Amino acid sequence: MDLKSFNILMVGIGGQGVIRAIQILTWAALLDNYKVRTAETHGMAQRGGSVSSFLRFGYEVEGPLIPSGNSQIIIALEASEAARYFRYANSNTIFLINNKIIVPPTVQLLNMEYPDLNSIGSFLKQISTNVFFIKGHEEALKAGDLRSLNVYMIGVLVGSSQLPIKQKTLENSIRRFIPRKAQEINKIAFNNGIEKGKLIKGDIK
Amino acid sequence: MSLPHFAVSNPGSHVILLGNEAIARGILEAGVIIGAGYPGTPSSEILSTLAEMYPYFSHLKIEWSINEKVAFEVAYGGSMSNVRSIAVMKHVGLNVASDAFMTAAYAGARGGMVVVSADDPNCYSSQNEQDNRYYGLHALVPVFEPATPQEAKDLIKYAFDFSERFQTLVIFRTTTRLNHGRGDVVLGEIKNINREYGFDWDRSRWVCLPSHSRILRLRLLERLKEISDFADNFPFNSLQISKKKVNGKKIGFISAGVPYSHLIDALNHFGIKDDVSILKLGMVYPLPKNLLKKLFSSVDKILVIEELEPFIENIVKQIAYEEGLSKEIEIHGKDMFPQNGEFLPELYLENLADIMDLEYSRIPVPNDIIIIPPRLPILCSGCSHRASFYAIKQVEKKLKTKFVNSSDIGCYTLAVYKPLEGLDTEVCMGGSIGLANGISKIQSNENPVLAILGDSTFFHSGIPALINAVYNQNNILVVILDNRSTSMTGFQDNPETGIKITKEVGTKVNIEDLVKGCGVSSENLWVEDSNNLKNMIDKLEEAVKAKGVRVFISRHTCSLVESNEFKSKEIVPPIVKVDSEKCIGCLICVNKFGCPSIIFDQKEKKAKIEQDTCRGCKVCIDVCIHDAIYEEE
Repeated sequence: MDLKSFNILMVGIGGQGVIRAIQILTWAALLDNYKVRTAETHGMAQRGGSVSSFLRFGYEVEGPLIPSGNSQIIIALEASEAARYFRYANSNTIFLINNKIIVPPTVQLLNMEYPDLNSIGSFLKQISTNVFFIKGHEEALKAGDLRSLNVYMIGVLVGSSQLPIKQKTLENSIRRFIPRKAQEINKIAFNNGIEKGKLIKGDIK
Repeated sequence: MSLPHFAVSNPGSHVILLGNEAIARGILEAGVIIGAGYPGTPSSEILSTLAEMYPYFSHLKIEWSINEKVAFEVAYGGSMSNVRSIAVMKHVGLNVASDAFMTAAYAGARGGMVVVSADDPNCYSSQNEQDNRYYGLHALVPVFEPATPQEAKDLIKYAFDFSERFQTLVIFRTTTRLNHGRGDVVLGEIKNINREYGFDWDRSRWVCLPSHSRILRLRLLERLKEISDFADNFPFNSLQISKKKVNGKKIGFISAGVPYSHLIDALNHFGIKDDVSILKLGMVYPLPKNLLKKLFSSVDKILVIEELEPFIENIVKQIAYEEGLSKEIEIHGKDMFPQNGEFLPELYLENLADIMDLEYSRIPVPNDIIIIPPRLPILCSGCSHRASFYAIKQVEKKLKTKFVNSSDIGCYTLAVYKPLEGLDTEVCMGGSIGLANGISKIQSNENPVLAILGDSTFFHSGIPALINAVYNQNNILVVILDNRSTSMTGFQDNPETGIKITKEVGTKVNIEDLVKGCGVSSENLWVEDSNNLKNMIDKLEEAVKAKGVRVFISRHTCSLVESNEFKSKEIVPPIVKVDSEKCIGCLICVNKFGCPSIIFDQKEKKAKIEQDTCRGCKVCIDVCIHDAIYEEE
């Protein structure tokens, strides 16, 4: 594959399925013959903390971390986390953001201000015009389980035609990493995600 | 059950491995038999991956040991018996093992012996960011460091051949981004070591008393000299010499590990990878002198890129001095890169641009940055530690005093944050009881001294400090937060569950018996359910008021483990709700207890329980003083 490097940043909250999503994407990238690197949050930070995973593939990729301003795609499983990691975006970056905000308990406790979807949207739009809020939460529940959110969001990315990995390869990879009893739900989530992605495809600049 | 991808035997298969899985695979390929370790982020997945291989490779003899010192000794016993052996630990674990390690370095290895030290720049999951390459310098033991998962697999496999060839221990140093990063890896052949195994009755070597150790030390020095001479031919060291100049400058880089891979990315960014000289190290101690001399003679400036301490830099400067080149060659390192934290890719770009007069500027930050308050890790919904700390706080309030809560390493350390603010010290594994021993000698009776630690931590290194308290009559209350799991590092079993790393049944060790065996009397021992809040408060008060060394075991299975058990047994956990008629919006459950499943509805000014995250521990029912939280029948 003659792609130099492609960088995806996936962020969210510990327990939302960021690592599983990265596993699915890395295997798919491998099956499509890319050289692959990731950096992931494991351990202490997983206990409900902010998590970020970096995925890079292409023939020139060596290190696991993405330089700031160099992420082609940022997928956020929780909306405010997209804004927390804004420095990885540039004016072409595509943000796919689950439109749910989960306020950290400490913020609630200390009665601090927490940004809403509007302020997150207008902030990120200063950086990139490709900011898309997606009803991931609702769609995952509609598919049958909130835990299919990660796969739904991968589906949106695939549908938007912005990912240089084949849909078939991703389907293989999903089958590999999703437990058998959750396969059907995730298949629905993935396909619904693709349909959603096709809808936003035309709006990407 | 199909073979996991890291365990397939066909060489040449191309798979994705997490750094730690790649290390485990390399260990398997090397023909290792004995593996021992103690869980610690970022190292834990290495042994657990070996455990997943065990059903298919029954020659593996692996265990979670009780602490890193024992793990090291277990592995070293293997080496003495001519078996390839590995000891796995996080960086601070090597401090625990260092007593054995420093002297084992003298006697050296018989069967290949490698110690994995997983360092953690930026303290992602650690209490410090110590640089364990210094253990190599300290013990005169070579230190290997891989840059990618592929190299990790290949290098650790090679480390066992190397260890046997030179009869030396090897430190295999990694950093978090290697351990917890995935990469594509081509699998190699799984070696079949054909040799006689058994103990070697060579007392002159294994009995390290003074008369032997003086001789062993001479051998150690000879060994280091041989390794040092071999360093120029070390297969994972490589030198690229470029005659080209970048903006009129002949630049050389020296790097290893994850920083090396980010250096390559940065050079590619500028399109100058082939225009500079690069010494890439797979062995960071001792350094290859001839390769260094070649580099010295080819460049005007050297930049050493390494996270944490100027370890390589100082040795390079020393060698330049010995070569009489200290004035002729500029050697940079910590004057450009910081001595703390991990290096982000843009730092390489900036510093490379700086040293070679290249163009780079960071993408400008938007004018009005939105503030996102931090999202810290917290105790989970239904966590029994929250209940224990809440009870401790209630007793403190009731007795109108302030406890000294000396605490320890584990999930429960997260109770330091609001709202619990339940601990006052955390230094090292088992340190809670040791510190409490000392604090109790000074602190007046008005401030009872508590030592609060988890079950696994108690087994790890709490026991000697408890015996110390009994023996010296230091007046402390030890609270063992027993959730039957080593949760923070991935729910490993421990002697209390009696389940071994292989999931085979071992022998259980009962904490109550152990505590009594340490000399704590039965009257001074309490065993209570952490989630029975009212009882906890009563009994804790009793324990605080009692005299002498007291042990309070607060026991309840980790809520994550319990909820998985419920799922597998198809048990529906209790459904807990807030009666909005009774809730007056006092916020005690939110602001004092702080379970993430309890949220406050700002419009209605009432607490609410999120049903999809609540694990049904029912503790909040007792926390609510208005009887507004109830279990739905």
